[in-house]
Amino acid sequence: MKTKRLTAFCAGILLAGLAGSALVMQKPEDSTVRIVQDGVVLFQTDLQEAEDQTLSFVYEGRSNTVEIRDHQIRVAEADCPDRLCVETGWLRTALPIVCLPNHLVIEFADEAQEADIAVR
Amino acid sequence: MRRQKPGVSCLLKTGICRTLPLVLLPLLVAGCGQEREQPKAEQTVFAMNTYVTMTAYGEQAQTALEEAAQSLQRWESLWSVTEEGSEIYRTNHSGGQSVPVSPETQELVSFALSMAQETKGALEPTLYPLLRAWGFTNGSRQVPQESEIRELLQAVDYRRITVEEGELTVPDGMQIDLGSVAKGYAADKIAGLLREYGVSSAILSLGGNVQAVGSRPDGTDWRIAVQAPWEQGTLGILEISDAAVVTSGGYENYFSDEEGYLYWHILDPATGYPADSGLQSVTIVGKEGRVCDALSTACFVMGQEALAYWRADGSFDMLLVTEDGEIIVTEGIAERFTPGEDRTEHVEVVRR
Repeated sequence: MKTKRLTAFCAGILLAGLAGSALVMQKPEDSTVRIVQDGVVLFQTDLQEAEDQTLSFVYEGRSNTVEIRDHQIRVAEADCPDRLCVETGWLRTALPIVCLPNHLVIEFADEAQEADIAVR
Repeated sequence: MRRQKPGVSCLLKTGICRTLPLVLLPLLVAGCGQEREQPKAEQTVFAMNTYVTMTAYGEQAQTALEEAAQSLQRWESLWSVTEEGSEIYRTNHSGGQSVPVSPETQELVSFALSMAQETKGALEPTLYPLLRAWGFTNGSRQVPQESEIRELLQAVDYRRITVEEGELTVPDGMQIDLGSVAKGYAADKIAGLLREYGVSSAILSLGGNVQAVGSRPDGTDWRIAVQAPWEQGTLGILEISDAAVVTSGGYENYFSDEEGYLYWHILDPATGYPADSGLQSVTIVGKEGRVCDALSTACFVMGQEALAYWRADGSFDMLLVTEDGEIIVTEGIAERFTPGEDRTEHVEVVRR
């Protein structure tokens, strides 16, 4: 009788342990993005929950217009000289969208992506 | 017959021994997700005309990254081609006079010249006047007149640059630009600095030039996403440790004319026009960032001839995406590259 109770107790711990392991090993989807300028996070949102919107960020008189549409994010307009940030298109991978002249970066905020970093 | 110790025998007779593994197992499994934690430090910097991200693990990682950030700013002030006080700017505007330069600049220029020689001029550090004429340096981007290209090509020749005993000489009318090697060189230096501070796990990106110090903190390889050329997505994943990965492709900076022709920023030093060698992108994997940086540009210019260079050199690996949409991977990284699930390109492995 005593042994049965002990076994049941241990089985309980086993289940709790397995649940704990699942929690520790679980990785959330990478849908949280942040907009950073010179190291300061200006905006952060979960794309899965974000509504369509347009945001404007000004740096030394120049601006970037960031668009969130259909749970995606991109720089839609910019008056920087090269407009490489606009040409980058929607944020898809670990490679951030960068506007060098305006020191603006759009990147995924969590670390559950398929890659640690991207090469281009 | 071997006798069991009384204590052990006693335990075996109880249910504890049978149930003990059940208690320990979940604890062990739960432990799998936990790494032996090393402090994580992160730093981002806008320097050397690029966006730099650095992540390092170790007791002194934060101090090391702060020093690295300062070094990046210093290198920019030495090698900027547009900043008036930089050693490169002063040399380019000296009217052909020799200019004293720092040991770092001498080392980097010597390296750039040696790579230019090794690649038979496919890497050409004196192309800057042409890049400016094409408008790739300031974003204006336009097709120059053919006569202008012909004239500017007269001032393109790395063999006329000399650097010795702390002095750099660039003939009047010529300009040197270290843009094709400086980020790789900086990445090597930072990796060395991090190791000096006891960091054995770090990942750096200098505008998409990746440098890995050691492996991930859990001992597995770093996972590097290789960008698909001319589209928004990933070609596949490269798994590497203690290596540099650098990609060059026309899609990084380009424009189209009124008729829809595309022109990109990697110029063929032989013609002065965008290198049209049948490749969409070149990814180089090797031990040294500076070599990978130089070779990604040079091999893009070489085109399929890059395979012959690889066979003769033997110190690096590469992944080519051809104009026909084929992926060519050299044998050293064939097992380390996994194409994305949605990719349809044929992958060919080349061997020596």
